[in-house]
Amino acid sequence: MAYGTVSADIIQSSVPGVSLGAGNASIMKNRIINGAMVISQYNGTNSVTLGAVNPQYTLDRWCFQTSQASKISTQQNQNSVTPPVGFSNYLGITSLSAYSSGSSDYFDVTQRIEGFNTADLGWGTANAKTVTLSFWVQSSLTGTFSGALNNNTGGGSGASYVFTYSIPVANTWTQISVTVPGSTSGTWSGASNAASIYVTFNLGSGSSFLTSTTNSWTSPGQYFGSTGSVSVVGTNGATFYITGVQLEVGSSATGFEYRQYQQELALCQRYCYAQDNRAGGIYYVFGTMAAQTSSNAFCIVPYAVTMRATPNSVTFSAANTFYSDPSNANYTGAQIDQLGKTTGVFTLTGTSGLTPGYAGRILSNNTAAAYVIWSAEL
Amino acid sequence: MYSSYTTKFGQLFYVIKHDDGSETHFTNESPYYQAYLKWLEAGNQPLPADTGA
Repeated sequence: MAYGTVSADIIQSSVPGVSLGAGNASIMKNRIINGAMVISQYNGTNSVTLGAVNPQYTLDRWCFQTSQASKISTQQNQNSVTPPVGFSNYLGITSLSAYSSGSSDYFDVTQRIEGFNTADLGWGTANAKTVTLSFWVQSSLTGTFSGALNNNTGGGSGASYVFTYSIPVANTWTQISVTVPGSTSGTWSGASNAASIYVTFNLGSGSSFLTSTTNSWTSPGQYFGSTGSVSVVGTNGATFYITGVQLEVGSSATGFEYRQYQQELALCQRYCYAQDNRAGGIYYVFGTMAAQTSSNAFCIVPYAVTMRATPNSVTFSAANTFYSDPSNANYTGAQIDQLGKTTGVFTLTGTSGLTPGYAGRILSNNTAAAYVIWSAEL
Repeated sequence: MYSSYTTKFGQLFYVIKHDDGSETHFTNESPYYQAYLKWLEAGNQPLPADTGA
């Protein structure tokens, strides 16, 4: 049978929201990871008040950049509104004050996409491919909001495409679609584990990060939004909810690519691997124990997947939440021993009575919620 | 409050000690490092370096 040709960017099915696009694939077409806001390894369903540390990862792969502390709280499914049809989760954001941003302030939520996942787009070359960003959004505010695709470079090699979108009705989900011609200028990471495209939703950045040039590429320039767009942080109690974020090749938005839970989790674990029993459970196993001395023990942890890079941060719960068996040892300190892309080793310190060379397992104890979060985020 | 230590393989880690007893250990490639530099610029002093396990 001969192959046919369909001269269209999108093939729409009879089912609303279900379609195939020009992205050369109907699977893994979405360059966004955790676009449906399903995975939340860092904080579970807990609310987080953001500090002034950048970036701050809350839901997996979504990072906040905030220049001022305590202006935003964020949470998976914050305030329990009903998600759009087909979705179970959203990223919730609430403004904690009526803050008037200074020129150098910035407030945004961003996904930093790894170069390996965008190299085929050819950005920065004459063959740059057009992409379409789509998402569902709801806010207590109405008006013109903004965001950007950029390469997070402020110098001469910087490039930003600032887009605007309208939320006409408060507290109602609206689906937005923005088509962006491929960037033929600027410097973009190729096939590497470095960050390439930054997909940014502006929440109230200051004038230094805003431009009046919208819906076209600006280079050089590092911008997060448009001049005069709605500032979420400018209104105390304002809400901003988002889900169903998809970035795909082509000039039309196609149906959202739903992934199996384990598939999405594994994609996230390339950047963050959380060993965590805070949601419940006792005697959670962290890894193999080997007594180093009478007071110190190694814990050897093979990660769930190969990480993007050697982790650049590891967060431990309080040392007394860990426990080793055999020996029934409790500990007072934890330190990194050695890190790799597939395995990490940490050392628990401050106990007594271990027999050097003996092996066992490191567990959470039976009363506290212990966790270790290995992070290799961009 | 920050402290630091060097592993036996020579890698330097900085430590944020949180109020709940948890700790974040990070390298100079971590996003936390920029916050650490700002903290130093503000005139703060880290705790003495630990000797490592």
